[in-house]
Amino acid sequence: MSENKLLKKLFQAYYRENKSKIPIVDLLEHREFGFIPWDKQIMIRHMAFKNVELLKKYLADNGSRHVYSSGTLYLQPDNLNMNNKQYQGCDLVIDIDVDHFETPCKTNHDYWYCVECGKSGKGMMNKCPKCGKRKLRNLNWICDICLDIAKRDIISLIYDFLFPDFGIDEKDLKIAFSGHRGYHLKVENKKMRGLSSGDRREIVDYITGSNISLEILGLKNLSLNLSLLRDNIGWSKKIILKIEEVLKNYSNDIIIKLFKGKQFGLSNDTIEFILNNKQNFLEILWNIEGFGPKKWETFLYGIIKEIGIRIDDPVSIDIHRLIRYPGSLHGKTGFKVQELSIKELDTFNPLDESNKNLDPIVFQSDIMQKIEILEPKVPATKIKGQTYGPFSQGEIIEVPHHIAVFLLCRGVAKTA
Amino acid sequence: MTVPIELIYRYPWLPSLKEFFSDIASKPPSEFISTIFSETFSEEIQERLFEIFKAAFDNLENVSYYKLDKVNVYLYLLLKILMVVLDNKIITNKIANLYSKINYNDLIKENDYNIYSICEDLKLDILYSDPMEYGVNILKDQRELLKTSFRIYYTDYLKLISNLHDEYRKLVNNALSNGYVFIQKRSLIRLIQEYIRNKFEVKEDKASLESLKKELLNLQEFKELYENILSQWELKKEVFEYSFDISFKEGADISNTFPPCINEILSKSQEGQNLIHIERLFLVFFLHALNYPVDKIIDIFSTMPDFARDKTAYQVNFAKKKGYTPHKCTTLKSLNLCMAAKYKDKICLEGYYSKKQDAQKKIKHPLFYVQLKQFRASRKENHPNNNLKNNNERK
Repeated sequence: MSENKLLKKLFQAYYRENKSKIPIVDLLEHREFGFIPWDKQIMIRHMAFKNVELLKKYLADNGSRHVYSSGTLYLQPDNLNMNNKQYQGCDLVIDIDVDHFETPCKTNHDYWYCVECGKSGKGMMNKCPKCGKRKLRNLNWICDICLDIAKRDIISLIYDFLFPDFGIDEKDLKIAFSGHRGYHLKVENKKMRGLSSGDRREIVDYITGSNISLEILGLKNLSLNLSLLRDNIGWSKKIILKIEEVLKNYSNDIIIKLFKGKQFGLSNDTIEFILNNKQNFLEILWNIEGFGPKKWETFLYGIIKEIGIRIDDPVSIDIHRLIRYPGSLHGKTGFKVQELSIKELDTFNPLDESNKNLDPIVFQSDIMQKIEILEPKVPATKIKGQTYGPFSQGEIIEVPHHIAVFLLCRGVAKTA
Repeated sequence: MTVPIELIYRYPWLPSLKEFFSDIASKPPSEFISTIFSETFSEEIQERLFEIFKAAFDNLENVSYYKLDKVNVYLYLLLKILMVVLDNKIITNKIANLYSKINYNDLIKENDYNIYSICEDLKLDILYSDPMEYGVNILKDQRELLKTSFRIYYTDYLKLISNLHDEYRKLVNNALSNGYVFIQKRSLIRLIQEYIRNKFEVKEDKASLESLKKELLNLQEFKELYENILSQWELKKEVFEYSFDISFKEGADISNTFPPCINEILSKSQEGQNLIHIERLFLVFFLHALNYPVDKIIDIFSTMPDFARDKTAYQVNFAKKKGYTPHKCTTLKSLNLCMAAKYKDKICLEGYYSKKQDAQKKIKHPLFYVQLKQFRASRKENHPNNNLKNNNERK
């Protein structure tokens, strides 16, 4: 039996046996659904379900590889023509995925090789450093560290932006672990649903800190009194508080690492001066040799990047986007897309969750399975406190069922 | 909550109009028009109406004869009907710009209570309180304490600013707390002005528009009024239409290589729509970058409701001297001036294939868009098949 057939059967069985665990999204009958099957790399779109029971039946029958529903509400969600679907509004959808940004652990677990010249290496890479071609095969892995970074970002999004600035009500928030490398957040609110794509871009800019005008916020002027801006409502306050936090709470080692990074690019002398004057840096900054208006601007944009949430912008701006259905299985991992309350989010640990009801590793089992590694290198995988790998091509390994499912879903192994 | 009737007289675009004037609100347009012409103020309303059209066609920002009385309500409704029947985007934009500006000038004189009542009537989620401090504005050595009594819910704020792309209006550059944006009274009124301007947008479909037009033009007095306005427009139209010519006659005409963001601004300008500051800047910088003659650029702005040739000439020349670069695509996107999706422009949306880099590249600057289109056009011209075709044609 091919791997895909096997995985399809597993997914079908899961959906059959766990019907009660498939949640119902608000106004389900007005949402468009999309599915990626196991046998074709296409998305079957423009589908709709009158009720959740019909959806559950579809999932049990088809065991789809990926399951999506729209953040958008339509009068005719199954109409094949987008213009005839009769758009009614769209939830605000925010996607935080560690695929889109650097994490320190990526050099440990992400791996790439060039299909063109065979060169390989660790970390994130867009084009081959040897031949310059972009035909790279990237193997992006998951670990506790990067998933924790994504979680911290979603928590910051909620507590630093959505609650205090946007006044979003907790009951309107829907949070979910994506089943792979991040988290999804939906704001289901009538007023929010009426916003256009352009309006949503404004929200994205606010959350990410993009297109801030330092001049309008009063941060560009040479004669500024920064302590005054501390009381300003909005981004200027956020910026001043962050500078204070960095200088007061970060260790010297972290400050050096941060300020030396490409976001700030400060010289050793400047960093040394800042460290020696941590207490009154904001008062004396114009006396620092070589710290002119240009450096100040770079410094501020660096701070803004530290504050802004790293979200996937197009997901939030697009008003016809499909996102993973909560409770469905992720075809690249075999993990469940797990809905979470804010309280649950705090202690949630996707790769080693102790609360059975929230555990996304739904295929956990001690039964061992034999599989053969297909990729030249497969990074180590730590799930449920146990590390498996790294593995090399051709290796035949015996691993617990959930690890086998994970490696098969990732397409890096076959049944032996 | 219902607003006092005096406010309806002053601002007949308020939703509560329907409650106070339910008798006329329920009438079909033809019946409403007949009523107007049978009233004692029939002559006066026509006089006031012509004042507005005359001022709009002359690009004025105010009218000498404008009264905030009951007739003002009929005048507004008649104006709206005329916009539908005239079905001319340029006229509609001119009237909408002028009418909203007149209302802005009146709104600015209103007390806080009336402004709050107006917002309530418009179903805007507004909070009113004792003046609250929300920051400090630092301009050179001056420090101004920012205080306001008004806060507006961010979704309403975003809807109202959607056509105003000024940097200082961006949400990220404003004080936002607990869902509400702190807003100065003057800025709030400017947003209401935008609401009024949009009230004139004609939304009827072509078929119903035609039948309404036919029905109304059967009324002799209305027909005369309509024709009178049209003849006034005919006289002005000529000046207006000649003033708009984007083709660069002295050199090659490259206007067909413009990106959608520029085409959108040009088409708005052509329709006589008001351009906001940032749109004007972008257009000037862009055309300067392509070495468009200064006179031609000034002519483009002659359709603006606030056009003054001397002022425009000074500003266009100043920008030329400074040599500013037009905004890049990311900035245009953040200002909602990117029109790639609206125009479904393939180059903007998909980018282009770079042979050198063996990759699909995104367009990052509108000037590069022009370059790319020119390059593609020149390649087409130099293509051997094209030469062959040209040779054959010569034979």
